Amino acid sequence: MALIGAALPISAQTLRPPLDLAPARESFAPKSTGGSTPAGGAFGEIFSKLVTDVEQRQAKASEVTRSVLMGDNPNLHQSVIAMQEASVSFGLMVEVRNKVVESYQELMRMPV
Amino acid sequence: MDILSGIASTDSALTAQRTRLDVIAQNIANAHTTRGPDGLPYQRRVVSFASEMQRAQQSFGSNGAGLSTVRVSEISNDTTPGQRINDPTSPDADSRGMVTLPNVNLAFEMVDLISASRAYEANLTVAKNSRQMALKTLEIGK
Repeated sequence: MALIGAALPISAQTLRPPLDLAPARESFAPKSTGGSTPAGGAFGEIFSKLVTDVEQRQAKASEVTRSVLMGDNPNLHQSVIAMQEASVSFGLMVEVRNKVVESYQELMRMPV
Repeated sequence: MDILSGIASTDSALTAQRTRLDVIAQNIANAHTTRGPDGLPYQRRVVSFASEMQRAQQSFGSNGAGLSTVRVSEISNDTTPGQRINDPTSPDADSRGMVTLPNVNLAFEMVDLISASRAYEANLTVAKNSRQMALKTLEIGK
């Protein structure tokens, strides 16, 4: 080890990349959009909003379906459309979740 | 935001065509009704549609045209006089034994029925297509 160290005089100083990563790191940080309230916040917050939205759509779909079944609403198509909207937004939510888990696993596999 | 594209227009069109089908059903059902609640023979009803701007803030392109939906603007009576036949046995016959029949022509109603039914199907196809587009879009990530 000492031999190699002597042959190649590499120090921590020379290994440091010439790029300053600080600005790049800063650009990934969530930014406030200038208004009084920030647009997003943490990812968890955004995702929980998405889940709430999907849940609302599903609640609306079951509400419309019930009103059709009870005979209050004659428009069968509204029930089916609401169900499809709920289904597609659920699919979108699952897709986002899959992407997050995939990214997490990718990071965990990263050799340190 | 609609997760399915243009579903508000399709939804309103389906509702409107359904109303039209209901009115045609009413016309056919009353094709031989010689006395209504007002004592007169049934008059054929006609549905007319009107387009309606909805959510003007969601505009297509730069010309600011909003999403347009359709609604039933009016269900009016067709005032064409009905056929008069001689049937003295009818309780609705006048002093000379003449009865006024409703101005419903079954052949016309059948044509309208097919037209309304096909229009409904066309809108269903649009809805199905929007759904397939959304599902295909979600497959980008796979």
